[in-house]
Amino acid sequence: MAGTPAPIRLTSCGCITPLGDAPATHAALMGGKSALRPVPVLGREGGDRVPLGLLPGRELDETSPPAWLGALIELNSSIPGGDWGLPRRPVFVTGSNFGVGGLYALRRNGDPSFARWGAPPTCTEQIRRELGWGPDISILSHACVSAHLGLLNATRVVEAGLADEALVLSFDFLSPFVAGGFHALKILNTGFPNPFREQPSGAIGLGDGAGFAVLSRGRGEWVLSGQTLFNEMHHFTSNRADGSGFERCLEGVRAAASGMKVWFKGHGTGTLEAGRMEVAAATRAFPGAPIVGWKGALGHTLGSCGLVELAIALEASKGGCSPGTHGSGGPPMADRVAIDNFPTVPFDGVVCASNAFGGAHAAFLLHHA
Amino acid sequence: MLERHIQVLATDAAGPESPAATRERLKGGFPPGATRRMTTLGLLVGGVLARVEPGAGDPIVYATGYGESRTLEAFLDSFPTPSPTLFQTSIHPSAVQQLMIARQCPVGEFLPLSGGDLLSFHALRASLLSHRERVIMCGGEETGTWLLEHGLASDRTFAFAVALTSGPGTGSAGTVRIHEADGQGSLPMPAFFDLMHGRQGFDGMIAPGWRLELEWH
Repeated sequence: MAGTPAPIRLTSCGCITPLGDAPATHAALMGGKSALRPVPVLGREGGDRVPLGLLPGRELDETSPPAWLGALIELNSSIPGGDWGLPRRPVFVTGSNFGVGGLYALRRNGDPSFARWGAPPTCTEQIRRELGWGPDISILSHACVSAHLGLLNATRVVEAGLADEALVLSFDFLSPFVAGGFHALKILNTGFPNPFREQPSGAIGLGDGAGFAVLSRGRGEWVLSGQTLFNEMHHFTSNRADGSGFERCLEGVRAAASGMKVWFKGHGTGTLEAGRMEVAAATRAFPGAPIVGWKGALGHTLGSCGLVELAIALEASKGGCSPGTHGSGGPPMADRVAIDNFPTVPFDGVVCASNAFGGAHAAFLLHHA
Repeated sequence: MLERHIQVLATDAAGPESPAATRERLKGGFPPGATRRMTTLGLLVGGVLARVEPGAGDPIVYATGYGESRTLEAFLDSFPTPSPTLFQTSIHPSAVQQLMIARQCPVGEFLPLSGGDLLSFHALRASLLSHRERVIMCGGEETGTWLLEHGLASDRTFAFAVALTSGPGTGSAGTVRIHEADGQGSLPMPAFFDLMHGRQGFDGMIAPGWRLELEWH
């Protein structure tokens, strides 16, 4: 390939959360609103009341067809362009759980109508039909860094000239399967999350979320660069305590951000050890950068969090102000943790990072073209 | 056109072998104690992956339509007191993680893919687009029980891993190319596995607009 390829640009980006679309979610976060409320962890079967952010009117228990399908259809209607899923316009669907809530319902009540939503390929095929897409749909799933994998894979395809535009769609909607699993791991409990705050014990919340990004070469006002992945393969659920895995991931982004003044949108679920690790690594990699996390209000939207939070970061960058780190109190883990809303105008870009089970880390830089 | 050279290939056609027999056959290839919590798919994928010797800098592209079906079944059956261990290991890419965590071997880029009839194409495209000289592509399925009855698990058990390089090297076993072309087609994962396991050549459409040429030397 001759010459330097044009940078891959973010042509369009959006999300849907219990607080609304990207502008509405951004505005709600700026106003200090939270999507989290206590919900029995197993839905109608009860259990501890844990902090969950469900789409308006949606119950935790799965329905057939899924109650979340309407949110995906609404999100799809906001995606510019068409002919998605045809060879020059591939789709990259990412998530952590797909329709796994349907499997739980299938096993509990035996209704076979849940089956068609139950596995990533079958769930994606149902969505493809609903949204009228063509067949070229890659499915990527790696827990909470799933969205980043879709962005990277789509970037490579566009970069190589194999597509004119690529659509990355990421979604995760809660179910007793998911909530019960995190509750069994004892990180989802009755406490509400306080990301990047010191407190006696950590806790996460979970939230419904979906997001999309359209990538193209040289068209659009915003650029994704320095996309980096690193997998520690240290432990199934925890990171290396010294933070070296996350630091390795941030090296690639730091190079892309050289000479820029950036702010840092962290993962920040509300667990203590991971939060401390993230704050320490981000502070070392990007000295002076404000650190912010939004899962204290949205809950952890799991595999979709990378795209949901990219859409909010984009709103914050366009609008000149970022929501602060919501939570119910406690001292911040470092001075750089931005508790209050702050202006983004003085900054050249934002580093967006996500972490996942197995010490998986992912990050990229979003900046104006 | 995207092209890579096949340097090392390992396959495991477990066929109708029971999970217990698979465990017994493969457990010697893993550190003592590591296999107790490993899934059948973890043993199979881990077994073939170990044979292609992934290095710390090698990206891994992992393709499985249904992942840890038996563990997923067991996790669902563990409610209303869900098992944290089964939750961890039922998560999509855990088969690769089971080996790499046992070896404490970090991986830069790890791209786990799922899918239906186009999964082998998407995994090949992701592998061939890697920026690294050497990339590992692996995949596999394990049969389910009640999930299979609902079409939510594989009806075959197999695994493969292949090390692909940008240059031919001195002893490459074959070449894989994909390029844009007119036509329709698909190559489901079990059919792709059969090509790899049997070292069979292929020249045909594997996705709408995409052709695969697989040659063995």
